[in-house]
Amino acid sequence: MTTRRTLLAAGAATAVVAAMPASASAAPSASPLLGDDQIAHLLRRASFGPTATSLAEARKLGVDGWLDQQLTPEKISDSACDGLIARLPLAGASIATVRAKLAKHSYDGFKQLGRAAVARAAWSNRQLFESTVAFWANHLHVTAPSSGVWDSRMDYDTQVLRKHAFGRFADMLKASMRHPAMLTFLDNRSSTKANPNENYARELMELHTVGLIYTEADVAAAARLLTGLTVNAGGTYVYDGAKHVTGAVEIIGFKHANATAGGGEAAALAFADHLARHPATAQRIAVKLCQRFVADEAPASLVTKLTKVYLDNDTAIKPVLRALFTSPEFAASIGAKTRTPFEDLIASIRALGLGPEASGVKALDALYNATVNAGNAPFRWAPPNGYPDVAAAWSSPSGFLLKCNNHLNLAAGWYPSQLTRPADLLKSLVPTLPATYGALVDALAVRLVGAKLPAAHTAAVLSVAGKLPTSPLTASDKSLAGHAPYLIALVLDSPSFQLR
Amino acid sequence: MFDFDCREKQVRRRTLLGGALAGVAVAGVSTTMAYAAPGYTGDTLVVLSLRGGFDGLSAIVPIGDADYYKARPSIGVPKSQVIAGDGTFGLHPALAPLLPLWQGGKLAAVHAVGQPNPTRSHFAAMDAMENAAPGTSIRTGWLDRMLGVTGASGPLAGVSIGNAMPHRLYAGATPDVSMASVDAFTLAGESAKRPRAAALRAMYADAPAALAGQALAADRALTATTSLRATAYTPAATYPATELGAALKDVARLIKAKVGLATATVDCGDWDMHEGLGTGVKGQRMYDNLTDLALALAAFTADLGDEGMKSVTLLTVSEFGRRVAENGSHGVDHGHGNAMLVLGGGVRGGKVFTKWPGLSPGALVAGDLAATTDYRSVIGEILQKRCGVGSLAPVFPDVAPSSFGLTLAR
Repeated sequence: MTTRRTLLAAGAATAVVAAMPASASAAPSASPLLGDDQIAHLLRRASFGPTATSLAEARKLGVDGWLDQQLTPEKISDSACDGLIARLPLAGASIATVRAKLAKHSYDGFKQLGRAAVARAAWSNRQLFESTVAFWANHLHVTAPSSGVWDSRMDYDTQVLRKHAFGRFADMLKASMRHPAMLTFLDNRSSTKANPNENYARELMELHTVGLIYTEADVAAAARLLTGLTVNAGGTYVYDGAKHVTGAVEIIGFKHANATAGGGEAAALAFADHLARHPATAQRIAVKLCQRFVADEAPASLVTKLTKVYLDNDTAIKPVLRALFTSPEFAASIGAKTRTPFEDLIASIRALGLGPEASGVKALDALYNATVNAGNAPFRWAPPNGYPDVAAAWSSPSGFLLKCNNHLNLAAGWYPSQLTRPADLLKSLVPTLPATYGALVDALAVRLVGAKLPAAHTAAVLSVAGKLPTSPLTASDKSLAGHAPYLIALVLDSPSFQLR
Repeated sequence: MFDFDCREKQVRRRTLLGGALAGVAVAGVSTTMAYAAPGYTGDTLVVLSLRGGFDGLSAIVPIGDADYYKARPSIGVPKSQVIAGDGTFGLHPALAPLLPLWQGGKLAAVHAVGQPNPTRSHFAAMDAMENAAPGTSIRTGWLDRMLGVTGASGPLAGVSIGNAMPHRLYAGATPDVSMASVDAFTLAGESAKRPRAAALRAMYADAPAALAGQALAADRALTATTSLRATAYTPAATYPATELGAALKDVARLIKAKVGLATATVDCGDWDMHEGLGTGVKGQRMYDNLTDLALALAAFTADLGDEGMKSVTLLTVSEFGRRVAENGSHGVDHGHGNAMLVLGGGVRGGKVFTKWPGLSPGALVAGDLAATTDYRSVIGEILQKRCGVGSLAPVFPDVAPSSFGLTLAR
């Protein structure tokens, strides 16, 4: 059989992205736009963006203290966010509950799931946990909405992703292997003894674990080994030995006699354990974590380090995260990542200090739809590989305009209008008016970005109001209230705020 | 299955304020189209990417090949159901909306095409297909190189429609613009009193290049499309209410407005039919997907009219074809050899161009339709005959154009 794996093609693929002009990896590590504040750097990366409160708390705790706190999410009070999520009762509901509450193939479960992801990113205090959940959701990606998983995708979120996000990858992988959402999304549920379906077998290796090191013979053997893992009429997982293809397999170093139909499930899970612990998997996860949290071009030294931590800790995630965020490579990476459209929207909400709506979910609807328009709504990426996580994949004129439009809509309170806002947004961001417009933009930038904008950018921001940096500012300046949303939005539009 | 669904997305594209204030942005901006195809006189080339692995054997059915029916006992399209059958090939019945174009010679198919280094990985295959220069150090997308070769410049020379994300076919130095839609491509709050676009232009003039490119391209494209948006578009045909329909409508709108559109890319997905591909009747997955595809293409052609289509060539590509034999899920797994569709005023259509290798077990490559024609050579023939490209070397290194006679010379 022809070997279809073309490492060359895969290599070229990465490079196509890297060669695009808008790669932010070219930004220097000691960023001239963001300065060298390590605490702000940590919160830009490990959370969905600093808030005034989270920044103050992290400064008090220090890097290690903040990581200790965030890696123990069950001890972090999150009652406000929990209250908000309670308005979305199907977001994490079991398959039985969804089936009982919704008509068949209803998309209402997906709607709540997507809105819950927006809410948690914006307002949960368990920011590192939510960031890590988002990472795994993108790694073991099951598209939502997609019609086949209308009843199971919400349970997948609870029982696979959230349950194991801070646990061991091997456990998460095995949970996904026995979940109706994954078995449906990648078609294993309809695989047969006579003609096994290859979809899940291929992506289990290529996307979830070892990457493009498999052969077509490996795919065929894995597809046989995975037969029998299916879904019953009630929509729940079942192993059906009558559908299992027995017979010895050897797949990427995994050898199993696979002698009995009754032992097929155990053999498949042993394969998952083998894959989770494979050095190629360790390295891929290390690279992807670096791309998520450090830089588009994963630093080789850090990949080596994290690969070892992952293997030494039997696929446990927390030690890997701790090693990553306390590494010199991370410290040196300020300004090396760019915000995705989703991250830009959420970071704006957090920087502006906007709160969730007092009741209902209209604002969440609007925010979710804004991410749909940008092509970056939670879980909505169509193919099974998850959203790309490099700047070049998101750097587009359309995306840029959508970000700018979000900034002004939020700053002015036009849309969504239901969010809780400070009585006077400008005053909440800059409590004491400085003497000049230039100093006002400086103060806004320090608060929203974490650093002053370069002088030319400050002047550009002020041009929207017909002001110069030296223009005097007094409390009696009647034009200020009208200018304020535009000035605030333009600070968020700046190159500085685009960096994560 | 993975849905990349053209039908089900209930996407609200409204950018509330952006839409409301768009008209105001005209102030101070020239309303004349100053960018009529500078540097380019070829056809507008529309590349429609069918994501997920299009099953060319279902679309362009090899009815004369008995091995096709042996390999697909439950999902093979019977000879009695195909349309425009010629004894060797026939069109899937869901392509009926395209039958007039087929019979009128504006639509052709090329069969048994594929990539030189095939892979059954969606992602490696898509990347390789869009890079289109395997085994070289070239890392750009082929459409970026094509634009560079033709000298097509101007803010709307290369556009991708339907998604805010950049298209990888354009990866590289030649500027391109992605638009979710023409009408959604706006800057909120812009007015003479609050010259926000000018402020952004000034701010990004000295920004790091990595961040500035998108902002400055957005600025140029905003200016170039302002007058276009000021008037609602009334197409000369009824498009289906699908994402593909909406995207092709915008492509036609840009073509008719003569904004200098040299190339456009549009994506359409949900072709990864491992399961339940179905038989050739309404309500089945392949039937419904092909119907949506056909309705959108038919509307696009009707909207542009004969005169408009004289300068337009549309082609379809997909990362791979599918396994010849069906699997136990009444679907087909990843394969290789595939079919492309070519539509345009200059096309010599109404037939299937192919060096057909056959589907006998001995003719298959690892269970797949052998690819006897490099997809790049097909595109190469079009680039030379319709798009004014001379040597293919800068676009597709070491690829000779096919000599099917797919199109008339422009």
